[in-house]
Amino acid sequence: MDPLLLGVIVAIATILVLFSGVSVAIGLLIVSAGFLIVFDGPRSLELMPEILFGKLDNFALLSIPMFIIMGSSIASTRAGADLYEALERWLTRIPGGLVVSNLGACALFAAMSGSSPATCAAIGKMGIPEMRKRGYPDGVAAGSIAAGGTLGILIPPSVTMIVYGIATESSIGRLFLAGVIPGLMLVGLFMAWSLYSTWRSGDATRLGSGSYTWAERFEILPRVLPFLGIILGVLYAMYGGIATPSETAAVGALLCLLIAMIIYKLWNPRDLWLVLRDSTKESVMILFIIAAAGVFSYMLSSLYITQSIAEWIGTLDVNRWVLMGAVNVFLLIAGFFLPPVAVILMAAPILLPIITTAGFDPIWFAVVLTINMEIGLISPPVGLNLYVINGIAPDISLKTILTGSLPFVACMVVAIVLLCLFPGLATWLPNLVMGAAI
Amino acid sequence: MAGHSSAVASHTGNNPFLRFVAALSTLAGWCSAGMIVAAVGITCQMIVVRFVLNGSTIWQTEAVIYLVIAATLIGLPYVQRLRGHVNVDLIPISLAPRPRFFMAILTAVLSIAIISVMLFYGYEYWLFAWERGWKSDTVWGVRLWIPYLSIPVGFGLLLLQLVADLVAVLLGIDKPFGLE
Repeated sequence: MDPLLLGVIVAIATILVLFSGVSVAIGLLIVSAGFLIVFDGPRSLELMPEILFGKLDNFALLSIPMFIIMGSSIASTRAGADLYEALERWLTRIPGGLVVSNLGACALFAAMSGSSPATCAAIGKMGIPEMRKRGYPDGVAAGSIAAGGTLGILIPPSVTMIVYGIATESSIGRLFLAGVIPGLMLVGLFMAWSLYSTWRSGDATRLGSGSYTWAERFEILPRVLPFLGIILGVLYAMYGGIATPSETAAVGALLCLLIAMIIYKLWNPRDLWLVLRDSTKESVMILFIIAAAGVFSYMLSSLYITQSIAEWIGTLDVNRWVLMGAVNVFLLIAGFFLPPVAVILMAAPILLPIITTAGFDPIWFAVVLTINMEIGLISPPVGLNLYVINGIAPDISLKTILTGSLPFVACMVVAIVLLCLFPGLATWLPNLVMGAAI
Repeated sequence: MAGHSSAVASHTGNNPFLRFVAALSTLAGWCSAGMIVAAVGITCQMIVVRFVLNGSTIWQTEAVIYLVIAATLIGLPYVQRLRGHVNVDLIPISLAPRPRFFMAILTAVLSIAIISVMLFYGYEYWLFAWERGWKSDTVWGVRLWIPYLSIPVGFGLLLLQLVADLVAVLLGIDKPFGLE
């Protein structure tokens, strides 16, 4: 059978199996086994455990549980509340300080915790009531937090970027740096929209807020700076070439746990177990998908599907930007239904040859892909953040949250367009720090 | 980046089989978490040896890799019990109770089938390593049947948890897909 036609059949079968509600990793194993039996014979199944084990046999994977432990020990403390307080106290003089500090707190906390729902919950619990009390429109209050929470998968350290790096064999260090400027750009766009829509809705005086003494401002810093210090230290150690991402992340995980125990008094074994349990649950889930996706991509290349798609794209006479548009639409749709990690792992073996054949930079593409995934996090039907916001602010209707989030989706689309026009936004910083890509 | 599934841990009722499997999966979860903690510890030790004491490390990197693999495979049943393996539940949610029930049975049977295949060939792979005395081609030269053991153990326990989940749905103790 023509490998391209086979590719289409595999794609349809995968969609059908995944939509049946079976878990993603097991679904990928089912599809892989099915096609291997039909085209390579039943004996080909005996390779599956070996391939699965081999896929996990990689030191870089250690960084996933390590960054997750870092994030969940931070998320289990009052660090979110403190960060919110700190930014509120320091940024209060800026016009619209509240929404600016909310978005800033979201960006920082999302980067530190790496968890989008945890960010929405931690910052939103205080930020949304406060914004509403001061007269910000409900849509802006809810939408800014929902959108701000998505930044964690773009701003380093990001587990999503690590997974992309592993799936495509790109440098994790480069990927982290590539997310910095686009991440700040998104924060800027979110802030601009929030301020504009609050200003447009009438009373501009509400943009001002309370005042704090310098003593109050400095008093909160000791509770906020240690975690930030660790994250920056981990990144510094990585870029200073001192240690690999996995090694620095392990030290970071240990330090974050210690700080949570010392500063936030996370002594109770039950609380510690909760941190560990959540980290284990998430790490195992991601690592199992990585392993299963390894078997899936083995099946794709053993049936010559991956190679044929790359060849076919090479002969295709379409504009590369039309191609990029089509890839974006595909990612956007996939992101509506699947968590980012699953999309990346399934799409990487198929999309990477397309992207590189068409002459796009895989590091730049990681950023575009991640912003697509962020859109999925605040779009129905499974936009996780919308439901988290609905949970912490039940009196704001889901419809208001949704319409409030839409302009932020537009901001993300603008960011993607800007990245297409100026690819340097993503590639300049990694090239500056780590030298030009080969 | 948490999963999309909002459901909680599967119900066991008073069924002794379900409770036994749940306890076994929870134990596996503790082992898995313990191995991740051990990986953190060993990595930190390795960094101290290499960067502070300027020594060389022999076994640490390999040990950490195998610990993370074992944590993943042995953690599978526990994460299954917590319904932590993400899925796309859009269609199951929109189905009426009866078709949803059949869909749950279908996906459970398919999952059990594939995990049985993984268990069978995983055991065979482990047996090869055991009988032929395979060792890793590193300085440490670890006997490979030790890390490979996590394949049959992990998939065996996952299989048990999947069977228990199916039984719970069939007996009406748990809802299909954990959806209320």
